[in-house]
Amino acid sequence: MAVGSAVNVQENSAPVGWRRWNPLRCSGLELPTNLVIMVKAIAIALLLTRHFLLLPDPFLPFIPGMDLIPGAWFQRSMQVLMVGGAFALLFNVRIRLSSFLIGMSLLLSVVASKAYYGNNKTFCGLMLVLAALHQPGRSPWILRLQLAVVYFGAGLNKVLDPDWRSGIFMHNWAANRLHQPAFLALEPLLPPLVLAKLMGWFTIVTELALSVLLLLRPLYPVAIWLSILLHSGMLLFTGSTFTLFFYGMTAAMLAFVDWPSEPMTVIYDGDCGFCNNARRFFERLDLEKAFRWERSQAGGLDRFGITPAMVRERAYLVAAGRVHGGFRAFRAMLLYNPAVYLLTYIVLAVPGQRDSSFRNVLVAILLVLVSPLFTPIGEALYRVLARNRHRLAADSHCVR
Amino acid sequence: MRTVVGLAILAFQLAMIVYARFVPSRYFCWAPYDVQTEYWITTVVNGRKLTAREVQARYRRPQHGTDNRSPQHVMDILQGYEEKYGWSDHAEVTMRYRVNGKGERVWQLGAR
Repeated sequence: MAVGSAVNVQENSAPVGWRRWNPLRCSGLELPTNLVIMVKAIAIALLLTRHFLLLPDPFLPFIPGMDLIPGAWFQRSMQVLMVGGAFALLFNVRIRLSSFLIGMSLLLSVVASKAYYGNNKTFCGLMLVLAALHQPGRSPWILRLQLAVVYFGAGLNKVLDPDWRSGIFMHNWAANRLHQPAFLALEPLLPPLVLAKLMGWFTIVTELALSVLLLLRPLYPVAIWLSILLHSGMLLFTGSTFTLFFYGMTAAMLAFVDWPSEPMTVIYDGDCGFCNNARRFFERLDLEKAFRWERSQAGGLDRFGITPAMVRERAYLVAAGRVHGGFRAFRAMLLYNPAVYLLTYIVLAVPGQRDSSFRNVLVAILLVLVSPLFTPIGEALYRVLARNRHRLAADSHCVR
Repeated sequence: MRTVVGLAILAFQLAMIVYARFVPSRYFCWAPYDVQTEYWITTVVNGRKLTAREVQARYRRPQHGTDNRSPQHVMDILQGYEEKYGWSDHAEVTMRYRVNGKGERVWQLGAR
């Protein structure tokens, strides 16, 4: 994926007709595609976890006087803002305003009630509001700074806490609170508190490192991976999404992705039946019409540095000035498809607020499939498929 | 204008991160799940100890629970309620708590 590359982020042509309202549509709207995916993912999490049911009435507010507002009125108003805003957002109605309203419903609820206060709600509220404030034609640098501030604060708080440095916090949490099986199995094999200390310092170093990496454009890919690994790891270790944190933090990584503004080109062997079947499948997934499929037989491959012989071995994707081949091409096609993200967040959030083994397994599988470590396996599987594709489609004229 | 608002939001957070170094509370400074505070709340009003359900309704916190942040957050809720909403009850509140599984401490509010 062209992460952090110097691509001019522009909205694609605006959708018309019924396509305008398609919830899976994320391009050609008021915000850049990557930010639309981000805010929609958070909105999906809010709706499917029924977070709106948790919104409070004013109770010991941070801002004096807020508890003079009639409680039921405030609570209903925030619920209407959140749910109405989320549906408007998902159906592409006034995306910027909808994002702002959902974000404000979270932030106002946070400052209205000390009992409701939580970092995850504050973070999601801020990301929604800051996305709404995004200036067209510019990079989302304020969103990126926000992430850096979050990790800086989190890392600093921990490194200054003696219980984090000594491992006492991690031991108490993993052993006494979570009764985490892997931790309980590994801990006796090491001297007391060593495992907890290692885990604690790993968290501290990762968070502080992220606060720096997220400020350095060339290191965005590393930062994105580190952040996703950190939060996915916490999900797998604890079984918890920390209410909205998992959804918000993973979705926020999209703020660091420069989404291609031009249609991406897929070059494939037009004489291959299997390849044509694959093309039809991916075209059905391509709601945004972001991919333009070109048969290698049509010529003109020189401009991409690709030869017909190369295309007989594998398909290629040209996106944002980079050429991806084989497994990498198909993985990139999925990663550049907004619908894939939204459907993924729907599936992840469907279990609701409760812990879910299904969600844990799905996250683990996705991590493996998308990670660079899986690429050699993916390429090997692709080669097997490519060598045998003539057997997979009846009308194939594929050259073996 | 948008830039100013965004920068103001970030500046507030940085200020809270610095402020957190001088106070026991950890509001708006990005300290999620930094402390495991296990607590037990006992509230006596007019000589009667409140039930678990009454404690939950009063403070919006369970009588026995775990807060994933500084114990000060729980204390703020207890003290805030008694001073703001329940001042006429003259309640006696006792919170026993353990931070990160260490030795038990006691915090009290109200006359004994």
